[in-house]
Amino acid sequence: MPIQQRLLLVIGAIFVFIFVTRNIKRSKILMTDAIFWVVLSAVLVIVAAFPEAVIWISGLLGFLSPSNFVFLAVVALLLVKEFSSSAQISVLSHKLEELAQQIALRDAADEERRRNEQQ
Amino acid sequence: MRILAVVPAYNEEECLKDTISHLVATCPSVDYVVINDGSADSTWDIVEREGFNGVCLPVNTGLTSAFRTGMKYALAHDYDAVIQFDADGQHDPAYIIPMAEEMERADADIVIGSRLVDGKTRIAGARGLGSRLISRLIALTTGTTITDPTSGMRMYNHAMIEMFADGFDVAPEPDTVALVARKGGTVVEVPVEMHERQGGESYLKLSSIIRYMSRTCLSILLFQWFR
Repeated sequence: MPIQQRLLLVIGAIFVFIFVTRNIKRSKILMTDAIFWVVLSAVLVIVAAFPEAVIWISGLLGFLSPSNFVFLAVVALLLVKEFSSSAQISVLSHKLEELAQQIALRDAADEERRRNEQQ
Repeated sequence: MRILAVVPAYNEEECLKDTISHLVATCPSVDYVVINDGSADSTWDIVEREGFNGVCLPVNTGLTSAFRTGMKYALAHDYDAVIQFDADGQHDPAYIIPMAEEMERADADIVIGSRLVDGKTRIAGARGLGSRLISRLIALTTGTTITDPTSGMRMYNHAMIEMFADGFDVAPEPDTVALVARKGGTVVEVPVEMHERQGGESYLKLSSIIRYMSRTCLSILLFQWFR
């Protein structure tokens, strides 16, 4: 991997790390969700520092250049992350609906009780 | 000193009744609140049938959220201390008063009921390994020795109740203990004995242990400095 690309990876990873920690400080992201990004930035630094492993694997899999392999790996990883985020949003939507329905039904029951008491 | 036992319960139909009866019989001076965390089984039916004091979350929100519900309850009712108490019968209510006495004596923010403070007992297997790793990390980052950081039996004072009730991302877990210790809070331990689970399934299933350990360790190691 060219030295410029390695530098870019390291700078990018450091940027991600600073960005994530700033958001933790500002209470914008939960620790549980931040772990993925911190680990990812650490992996990027390792890849940039020790490209031999990546070069070896990309040669093994028949890639023309290790950069292509890194791009593909990152795209694949982000697709997986995107799917798990979608799944998480689905669960959250369901819980939100559940909560809205519970509150609405409870209000209706309260209203009914009040009307019965008035009569 | 007014003490509230917060008892998070998720699918605890097997042991909740015994746990609460035992708690009330042993510590009549301690109030309690059961937080039903959207259980799929008959946990809430038991609370209503037995006339237990309880709060029912309509959906499952996780241990942290259930416990924080209890902390909001404690804040609203102006309790001096809260004891985190498992619904599964692991914790012995006989230790609640000794823990409260230690809290007053040491003016502590957190009192942990420790299985290991005597230095003789060790938790066996992977669980013990994880516990020792967390203990080492806390000593490294805060300089405070916590022999049993994963003990779920913890007592919190009024300042901690406020922190849990209003805070973002504060879990009733070892990383919060480490955060409090590092910010200059007082954390002390009291020796306790614990029972085996009396039934039901733990919050910490094998599948989630890796997630638990990575969250706890990273949180203690890295993020303590960014909060």
